[in-house]
Amino acid sequence: MSIELTDIAYRYGDTIALDGIDLSIESGELLALLGPSGCGKTTLLRVIAGLEFPDRGSVRFEGRDVTRIAARKRHVGFVFQHYALFNHLTVFENVAFGLRVRRWWRRPQRAELKRRVQELLDLVQLGELAGRHPAQLSGGQRQRVALARALAVEPEILLLDEPFGALDARVRGDLRRWLRGLHDRIHVTSVFVTHDQEEAFELADRVAVMNRGRIEQIADPRTLYTQPASPFVCRFLGEVNELPSSLHERWTGVRDEDAIAFVRPHDLDLQPCDAASAVARVESVRDLGATIRVEARHPALTAPLISVHERGRLPEGALAPGQPVSVTARRWVMFRHGE
Amino acid sequence: MARKASTALRDPAWLRALLLAVALGFVALSLVLPLVAVFAYAVEKGFDVYLASITDEDARAAIRLTLLVTAIAVPANTVFGVAAAWLITRFSFRGKNLLVSLIDLPFAVSPVIAGLIYVLLFGAQGWLGPWLAAHDVKIIFAVPGIVLATTFVTFPFVARELIPLMQAQGSEQEQAALTLGAGGWSMFWRVVLPKIGWGLAYGVILCNARAIGEFGAVSVVSGHIRGVTNTMPLHVEILYNEYQRTAAFAVASLLALMALATLMLKQLAGWRMRRTQPESGAA
Repeated sequence: MSIELTDIAYRYGDTIALDGIDLSIESGELLALLGPSGCGKTTLLRVIAGLEFPDRGSVRFEGRDVTRIAARKRHVGFVFQHYALFNHLTVFENVAFGLRVRRWWRRPQRAELKRRVQELLDLVQLGELAGRHPAQLSGGQRQRVALARALAVEPEILLLDEPFGALDARVRGDLRRWLRGLHDRIHVTSVFVTHDQEEAFELADRVAVMNRGRIEQIADPRTLYTQPASPFVCRFLGEVNELPSSLHERWTGVRDEDAIAFVRPHDLDLQPCDAASAVARVESVRDLGATIRVEARHPALTAPLISVHERGRLPEGALAPGQPVSVTARRWVMFRHGE
Repeated sequence: MARKASTALRDPAWLRALLLAVALGFVALSLVLPLVAVFAYAVEKGFDVYLASITDEDARAAIRLTLLVTAIAVPANTVFGVAAAWLITRFSFRGKNLLVSLIDLPFAVSPVIAGLIYVLLFGAQGWLGPWLAAHDVKIIFAVPGIVLATTFVTFPFVARELIPLMQAQGSEQEQAALTLGAGGWSMFWRVVLPKIGWGLAYGVILCNARAIGEFGAVSVVSGHIRGVTNTMPLHVEILYNEYQRTAAFAVASLLALMALATLMLKQLAGWRMRRTQPESGAA
């Protein structure tokens, strides 16, 4: 089911959480809302779910206006950040909840209900744990119960709020790939919120980068990374060097005080040279295993220049602290100051 | 989570023994001794007198009245307490802080004042007195007044117990129930009540204990009409003032028994509450 948001605005007291959001999500798509904390991404998710009503704008599902429809009538699956499982119910009953609260004429028969819950538990690989209580499960298992519970009502839209936020790094990676696989099988239109760029890129078809209640850019991961629409997107998607005209003019040919070249660490080249033609001096070299991270200091910049080299690409000992270096870049994106 | 106290924080043995002795001594002197005395005086003239005292017609009327008043005040305050706690923890609105303070009002004012307020409102000389008299409704010096006064005094117990509990639990589970299509009714029975269950029981038990034992407010509005508007605590006072010491203590021993039973139930509820909600940190 497709989702169209038009000019959504929402404020908490004096704080503007959403400031005119336009967004359309295609049927069957997996979209990430990515942004720093407080950018409004969770509020936007809650607006889609009907847990918050926007001050302005409209929400449409497949063209049907649902802006004023209550959450319980929207048939949207929602997975909460901390799962919000019913602690007093077993895993089975948690998943069955959405079916049990239906009006009697829509409620499945006992055998049918049992079959469907068991099917979902098998889908999330928790068939064995149906009789346990949430307190007896690990974080990753709880997460999957929450997912099964949300899917039990056969929603056409699935919303996930920081689905992996409370898990440790290893479980997170596994669950992420598993969820992507699940989505490829059941094709429910899904939106998830995250502040983790890697997570968004690995999981989503498209990523909407949000900042201060607005969407800065929405695109597939590759486009976002290679053609960021704003300095904010560029900075948010990972470490980046911001070089003034005086430093990049030699290789960009752009001579403009306001033009800043944004260069990723792996696109920045630090070449050893003699002190006379050097623009910076190596400050530290850190071996990170697969890569080597070099920081260099330029007198005019407050932040150090960061360059990341693949192991083997850098001759042993070529760059040592104190070494004068020249700076060039293989790729860059240019933004004008104040953009 | 029970953890062993760090050895660094452990006091010397003599200090621990001293503190323990002081605490136990105080409890023995001010709590246990009086309790034992109540039962001792109650049966000092033998069991027959004891039985006669508590099966006396006026005593039975007092017991009946106390049970009736409790049976009205406690459910009323339970419903009110749940509603108020729900309102306060789940919605933000103007005057919320005022409402929270108002709930505490009965704890803050003396029960005698509470009783007096009702006399001033509903008494013969009160604001609504003439109107009530004209419509032949009797509140003061009658059962409705006693119910009102008791309800007022026991008003905060359930709400006070539930508000911090529901605040700690948050509303995420309720929101989850909403997105799963639950209506208000099934949400309350399937999600809210199981979550607050033992906390609610705890509040109801305390409310019940106070409703049975309330003296001050009830004393002002009751009029002390024997066999009609005398509750158990009032009956004890009357008997004692009439130098019927044994009878007074016999009825008092019933109140003491109820208190002990309450204490045990309270302990159970508190224990269950902590056990069933390990994650919410409710204690």
